[in-house]
Amino acid sequence: MATATHEATLPRGVGRLTRGWIVFVVAMVAISALGWFAYVREYTEGMTVTGMRNVGTMGGATWGLYITFVVYFVGVSFAGITIAAVIRLFNLQTLRPLARMAEVLTVVSLVLGAIAIVADLGQPLRGIVNLFRYARPQSPFFGTFTMVIAGYLFASLVYLWLTSRRDASLLAERPSRLRWLHRFVAAGYTDTPVERERHSKATFWLAVSILPMLVVAHSTLGFVFGLQVGRPGWYSALMAPAFVVLAGVSGTGLLIVLAAIVRKTMAKDVGLTTEVFAWLGRFMMFLLMIYVYFMVTELLTATYAGSARELQVTREMLWGEYSWIFWTSVALLVVPLIGLGFQAIARTWNIPWLVVAGIAVNLGAIGKRYLIAVPSQTHGQLLPYVDGSYAPSWIEYAVVASLTAFGALVIGVFMKVLPIVEIDGEEEVANA
Amino acid sequence: MVKYAMAVDLDRCQGCRACMEACKIENNTVESVFWMYVFRLESGEFPDTKMSFLPRPCQHCDNAPCVKVCPVGARFKREDGLVLTDADRCIGCRYCELACPYGVNYFNWTKPEKRQYLDYDHPDVERVTGGVMPPYKNPDLDQLYGEEQRLTAGGGHFKGVMEKCTFCVHRLDKGLDPACVHTCPVQALIFGDLEDPSSGIAEMINDRTHFRLLEEVGTEPSVLYFGGAAPTEDSREIETVKARV
Repeated sequence: MATATHEATLPRGVGRLTRGWIVFVVAMVAISALGWFAYVREYTEGMTVTGMRNVGTMGGATWGLYITFVVYFVGVSFAGITIAAVIRLFNLQTLRPLARMAEVLTVVSLVLGAIAIVADLGQPLRGIVNLFRYARPQSPFFGTFTMVIAGYLFASLVYLWLTSRRDASLLAERPSRLRWLHRFVAAGYTDTPVERERHSKATFWLAVSILPMLVVAHSTLGFVFGLQVGRPGWYSALMAPAFVVLAGVSGTGLLIVLAAIVRKTMAKDVGLTTEVFAWLGRFMMFLLMIYVYFMVTELLTATYAGSARELQVTREMLWGEYSWIFWTSVALLVVPLIGLGFQAIARTWNIPWLVVAGIAVNLGAIGKRYLIAVPSQTHGQLLPYVDGSYAPSWIEYAVVASLTAFGALVIGVFMKVLPIVEIDGEEEVANA
Repeated sequence: MVKYAMAVDLDRCQGCRACMEACKIENNTVESVFWMYVFRLESGEFPDTKMSFLPRPCQHCDNAPCVKVCPVGARFKREDGLVLTDADRCIGCRYCELACPYGVNYFNWTKPEKRQYLDYDHPDVERVTGGVMPPYKNPDLDQLYGEEQRLTAGGGHFKGVMEKCTFCVHRLDKGLDPACVHTCPVQALIFGDLEDPSSGIAEMINDRTHFRLLEEVGTEPSVLYFGGAAPTEDSREIETVKARV
């Protein structure tokens, strides 16, 4: 192809469409379309097509898989921007190749979280308007909407853009079909020392301000559950911190997976060394240790001195209807922790193993999110209602799968539009 | 200032559930939705079992958790004590339902027309009614009520929004008691103004002791229970409610 020769000169595989990539895009578009079909059914028929039902006499759970994934997606976003900000603040040069993909992961997962919330609303169109028009700061949901979706997503987008301008300006120097886009993103940036200095300062202070915002934003999501005294199992001061920590675990896990994929697909070495993965592994191990500690503390509190209703929810989780999810999730979190511990002691880091651990902790995190949301609705009612049950319908599975596929698609497209790994120092476009 | 409250005399309640029926007819609630619900409970071990009944309308709490969590102010507390849902504003996030420890909220999972007790399109029904009888709708429910003039009565049977007991806001407007109170054959339900010393409910408070449900969660309910006892950990429903949509 004639045009392909132009793009072949762009670094980091930008603009080069391989067969594998096209297959991937087609597959992701197909899964996304299935989700749209499912959602249109939900929108026209009403949410009766989901597995959710009213708590109480109807014996169901009114928040199900959607809220589980809202929490999960927003959680994933945590680690991305945290790691990017930490890299910037402490100037960790070896980790620089991670920064861009971490930012992209944050932005994409936040968008997915926002979409998942809208999918969970009975009146989605009205919701988009009223949530802003009649916003009430007294509602714990307010934090989710203003701080997480508006504030933190916006800050992350600005951060991503600021850090992408230099690469875009470098790419814009080369002729390609994407030149207009690179010029647009660069927005007049020409990589002079003055500009570089100004950007360095701006990203530093943005990183400083993003970090506290992150903790607050993720805590508000924990408060959505943790402030409710009417649901045994929810009312806990540990809810918010545990949310933040598990968010870090799942996000880091996904970042490991993404970094491994990038490393595999890039034609030449982009600096994603074993050392980078070792850092991620240690970071994840540290967070996992804190989370397991929280989990044990919470279980001990609930079983040793819990009220009868509290105990009922815990019992259901440990030995009842939800036990298989609980124990699987615990295994998916604890086994990787042990494995990471061994690797840390031996100081040898195996990337395939880290990828497996990354996937495992994400599945474990989804399981734990589910266990926070659902059992307290079907069991342990404060009035003597008969116990309920909840099983997601195919509509919910399809919508969630489609959201995940959509996220993967956006990241995949991004990789072909802008470098997913920063072009470092003096490495110029010409010799790429 | 009026401060509405409901008294439930558990010594009188016989668990006939006429109040549930009256509520359904008055508010046209659809299948498996019970704005008023009567628990039929048993406790103890056979043969030493005890039966009891516990009517459960919305508790119209003074410190209502559902009002606190509503992100758009669709669930609100009126000055006269009523906790109501603005069906025009509700976005269907169902947070109120989870915040409520009493389980009184019902979401419209589908179009209300699809959940009628009688299938009006069925040929047999059409043969009898000649197709001229639409599902009955109480015309009062579509009106706007209160100082706020919001759509709060049972007219809010719309797909994707929340609904619950309104203390029959449309009947109070006419000076009538809620439908459940009006129907109760043994006067186990009493409705009135707490601020009016001559009201039946104020006299009951003076004469007898009462309790409120789940006092420990600090919701300050406006439904007062006289006689009987609150359900314990041991209380269980004698029948499984098969009320799924």
